[in-house]
Amino acid sequence: MKLHELAGVVRSKNAGPFKITIDIFFDDLESFERVRRSGVLDPASVASVFGIPESDVVGSFWEERAMGAKVTLRKRPSSNDMRCADVFGAHQYLELAYADVD
Amino acid sequence: MPETTTDGARPTAFEPIRFLSFVTHIPHREDIDASIARALDWGVDYIVAQGTGSDWGAHWLGSGTFPATDIAGNCRPYLKAAVEHGIPFVFSVGIAGGSVHLDASLKLLGDLCAREGWNLRVGVLDTEVDREELAGMIEEGTEVVQVDPTDDLPRKLSGGEARELLRTVALAGPEPIVDLLADPDLDGVITGRALDIALFMAPAMARGIPRAAAAHLGKALECAGLALSPPDSAEPVWAAVDPEGVTVRSPNPRLAATVRSIASHGFYERSDPTREDNPGGRLDLSDCVYEAGDDGSLRITGARWIEAPYTLLIEGAKLTGYRSMVIMGARDPLLLGQWEGWVEAMKLSVRDAPRFSHLEEGADYRINVRPYGVPDDLDPNAPPKMEAAFILDVIASDQELASEIAYFGFIRLFIGPYPGRKSTAGNVAIPMMPVVIPTGAVYAFGAYHLLPIEEPGALFRSRKIELSTAVTA
Repeated sequence: MKLHELAGVVRSKNAGPFKITIDIFFDDLESFERVRRSGVLDPASVASVFGIPESDVVGSFWEERAMGAKVTLRKRPSSNDMRCADVFGAHQYLELAYADVD
Repeated sequence: MPETTTDGARPTAFEPIRFLSFVTHIPHREDIDASIARALDWGVDYIVAQGTGSDWGAHWLGSGTFPATDIAGNCRPYLKAAVEHGIPFVFSVGIAGGSVHLDASLKLLGDLCAREGWNLRVGVLDTEVDREELAGMIEEGTEVVQVDPTDDLPRKLSGGEARELLRTVALAGPEPIVDLLADPDLDGVITGRALDIALFMAPAMARGIPRAAAAHLGKALECAGLALSPPDSAEPVWAAVDPEGVTVRSPNPRLAATVRSIASHGFYERSDPTREDNPGGRLDLSDCVYEAGDDGSLRITGARWIEAPYTLLIEGAKLTGYRSMVIMGARDPLLLGQWEGWVEAMKLSVRDAPRFSHLEEGADYRINVRPYGVPDDLDPNAPPKMEAAFILDVIASDQELASEIAYFGFIRLFIGPYPGRKSTAGNVAIPMMPVVIPTGAVYAFGAYHLLPIEEPGALFRSRKIELSTAVTA
């Protein structure tokens, strides 16, 4: 199953000019727990999904009351670089949205 | 058993302080007057709104302009409530929040006051930082270090690098706003760039609320209705704060404060959903307790404030050049299958052109071609139905040079040969004239660093004005 099929919201945005943060909100605790257990949002898995070094994964976070998970990455190229294609970082969620969840 | 009053409410030693929040650069909804009237029925002690941010990158900070927003129209219903009910207000304005943005915003709000006949005395907090002063501090030994690891900024800012900044602001914490609020002659405070939560913390702290609850109030209210369900930052939020926690309520009955909406708001544009580093400490919401009330309100308690050295976030813009660009469409499978070589040949032509031989790529100009929508599974026997786009992007040391290089590069891309080409009258489709689009100056952050400081307001300037007479400096 793809991550987006288990989530109500998958979005991304800058967290400052040098980081991208991806938020995933679930509609029920069952999906939240299923994805948490799958390990797909663990730093090593996130690094492989995006094809980036694990050192570029700032962290993964889980907040049960929001039924939400967060993954934060270093933004490369950053907002300072002319090759940066996404000023707001709002369109960087797709690799995770289509990641496989066991 | 707790003593009860006749209406059933528990007496409290501390009268909660009540806030109404909105966002100064977001247009309000059409039914705003009814929402504000409802909040006023619940009682409002302060109206607070943020209107600064760096989401857009360094552009507005560098250019000294801000996007066309009707700040006077956005603020009008709230200022009307402030005037009619004598409610003090704290606003930040101008997006990037430098002096030029602050003054332009004050002028817009001043014109509104003059039209409406409102006499408002406001304390103005200008948070633009003088680069010489910043450079001097650095040269005297203050270490100004980057916030997030990045190769695009120096780890430590030098005095020389500080002097190269075009415009620099620091995000004010609550302390200098608390100082202005202490002046009984003032009806409100308007700031340039400020920490959003500081605008809420200041009135709360001035009335004796501890930092943890004051910051939690700010966290819940900083983006107004974005913390409600369904999220909408064009809607106001009402909250009451006391030393133990915050009670949040939606003045518009179409929205509600829910456990999920408030807990989710901590995610927005933040790297960690429950811990946030601020001047003087970290706000930790990881052990918060949420409790829904009968009236649609939500009570949140349990925020912690972990003391840390006081630092200000410094945002500085530098000029990186001037941009000109060309937008092209292409469907030819022969070209799409080898576009990288086509682009490289163009870059080589620019490098080898006698007219550009005195220029150094990287220093005098930079070229980047962005491909959009080149199909992964190109069919050599049929062109794709939809064009792929290529944007030729040139940044050079002046606008004329950027346009000249963009034009030269476009000609190479348009008529330049590539292996197997048949299209000898032109390689791409141009959707509009002029082909070369100059977009002006390009800015980047030259500073996004933390400055340790002992006196939180030392870099800022405050003044008192009659708002209706504000004129652009």
